[in-house]
Amino acid sequence: MKQEHYKFPFHVILHPFDGFWDMKYEGKGKVRIALLILALLVLNITIQKQFAGFLVNFADPRYLNSLVDLQYTVLPFILFCIANWSITTLMEGEGKFKEIVMATGYALLPIVIINFPLTFISRFLTQEETAFYVLFNGFAVIWFLYLLFVGIMTVHQYSASKTVITLILTVIAMGIVVFLGTLAYSMAMQIYWFIYDVYRELIFRT
Amino acid sequence: MRLKRLLLILAVMGLIVTIGAPPVIASAPFEAYTYNYYEDSVPLPAPFLPERSVSGIDLGVGAFKDPNDMFVTEDGFIYILDSGNRRILILDSDWNVIRSITSFSHDGADDHFANPSGIVVSDNNQIYVADTDNNRIVVLTNEGEFVKIVSNPQSDILPADFRFIPLKVTVDSADRIFVVARGVFEGLMQFDDKGAFLGYVGTINVTQSFADKVWRKLSTKAQKARMQLYIPTEFSNIDIDHKGFIYSTNIDMNTQKPIKRLNPSGQDVIKSFGYYPNRGDIRYRIRGNNSGPSKLIDIKVIGGGMYTVLDSLRGRLFTYNDEGELLYAFGGRGTQLGVFNIPVAVERIDDKLLVMDRGKNNIVVFRPTEFGSAIHRAVTLHYNGDDAEAVDVWKDVIRINTNYDIAYVGIGKSLLMEKKNKEAMEYFKLGMQRKYYSIAFKRYRREIMQEHFGTFLSVLVTVIVLLISFRIFRKWRLRRAGRHEAGAL
Repeated sequence: MKQEHYKFPFHVILHPFDGFWDMKYEGKGKVRIALLILALLVLNITIQKQFAGFLVNFADPRYLNSLVDLQYTVLPFILFCIANWSITTLMEGEGKFKEIVMATGYALLPIVIINFPLTFISRFLTQEETAFYVLFNGFAVIWFLYLLFVGIMTVHQYSASKTVITLILTVIAMGIVVFLGTLAYSMAMQIYWFIYDVYRELIFRT
Repeated sequence: MRLKRLLLILAVMGLIVTIGAPPVIASAPFEAYTYNYYEDSVPLPAPFLPERSVSGIDLGVGAFKDPNDMFVTEDGFIYILDSGNRRILILDSDWNVIRSITSFSHDGADDHFANPSGIVVSDNNQIYVADTDNNRIVVLTNEGEFVKIVSNPQSDILPADFRFIPLKVTVDSADRIFVVARGVFEGLMQFDDKGAFLGYVGTINVTQSFADKVWRKLSTKAQKARMQLYIPTEFSNIDIDHKGFIYSTNIDMNTQKPIKRLNPSGQDVIKSFGYYPNRGDIRYRIRGNNSGPSKLIDIKVIGGGMYTVLDSLRGRLFTYNDEGELLYAFGGRGTQLGVFNIPVAVERIDDKLLVMDRGKNNIVVFRPTEFGSAIHRAVTLHYNGDDAEAVDVWKDVIRINTNYDIAYVGIGKSLLMEKKNKEAMEYFKLGMQRKYYSIAFKRYRREIMQEHFGTFLSVLVTVIVLLISFRIFRKWRLRRAGRHEAGAL
């Protein structure tokens, strides 16, 4: 992979309209980079929970689990991409699934680059200064949301209002996906236990 | 053969030894606990163990009948209000009955109590009894002589058909009387030493749950009119400390502040600096058996800024320090010695605690264990400002129970006083005390910065100087190279 692939995400987050356009039409984005950013985010969250300063770290050390962090970062990401793709296909969006993954992944970059140093700095903060920690965290999230908005808008070639509607519908679709997933899971479990019971019955009766 | 016999003798001796040795440590019939930072209950060694129970039969005065209250004076005399038998029993600290007051002469006739529910003894040894069904407060001398009666309060702020039904009473050093009365929601009734009604102190604010608010918003005017009024709850009990602050409890499902500490002008000044509000149990079942928040029905100031409250629902005692941190909770419902049926009152005698049980018609005496008395000693030392001495005691506490957060905070505070900031940080972290950790950390950071400021600055200056000289050098070389090129052309 060339150096410009690593430089391009930084160009995107600073010049989102330009950057996402290039990503879509000039083929400058890479799914691998987007997934790398996602992996860094997982690492970031794990590190933050483990090493953030005592005054800002409210994670219960007895229940720290990086697998759970992984799960709660990657699953929503995939869920969002699938839900967004499902909605935008129906709503004349021009984006491919690959582009949605790239746009979402690149939009996560500000959270990664702000929170990494912030975790380190938080160890040197007093109670009064933790306000800055919260401020920068909030700033990262707002930046992320803005980039996500612009990314989705550019990828699908939507107007602003249509993007907002799609994003709201995406959230609803995510809920539906979760609901269907739980339903399917619970039914699969029912079937599994049924078969298992029949098996056990056979074993003990004969 | 000889070997066999020897073995037999040994076995028999072993049996005798095991039977002969009584169990040394009596186990408590309850589980003591406190809540940690994560609001999980953490088991503690028992801070108190039941020593004995005292019933009327033990005292030789006939069984108690529905006793409602008791009081212990500073010099250790015990006053028992045996309501069902309409008498007051006065005992010395060794549980010898000195006197039994069943009647008193009032206006030349013999007068009796009717279902009295509160008793207190003032500093000058006058007995104040809330004589509930007679709608009055009776004041007697220690010998049972009649002093005065407080009844029928007169004031513009009282409705014309006001009925005075006193439940609990306390009295301050200036003989002002504070009364918890049934059906009075405005606060505690305050009377002066002559028995004139002065007014209310310490009004409880109305609490409404969120669901109630939403429901009220949605209902029509006619529906609202038919709804029950939101009236504040009544106080359930009061006590007074030697500074004249009134401690009170009330029973309210929704409130986060069932314990109040009223200053002389009637404002609530209770401290609640613990990890969670001081309201008894914070983890409980929502519905079903034994569910709901604690019902605090009595409070006792036990010195050193500490106070003990009694939960009648689950029969537990909670002791808080002056900052509102839960030191320990113990007790329960049951029939064994040390658990209660219907606990109604808690008192302190020296370092022991007494709990009156109306269901069992007895009084249970609890003596502090090594753990309990160490906590009390440390908290008292800290309260009096002897932090350095408190540290040793806190260390004893930690030796007995490593999971005792308050001990870590206590040691941390003392280290902070001694300017040992780094060690203090460690202890505050163990005690999950972010506020004090921040203070210790701030000082430690300043210390480090002051210490290393010179090094830091000289490194900085060197780096800057080096950078500048490097740039000048590069520019100079470039210019020379340029000149060479120009020369070559």
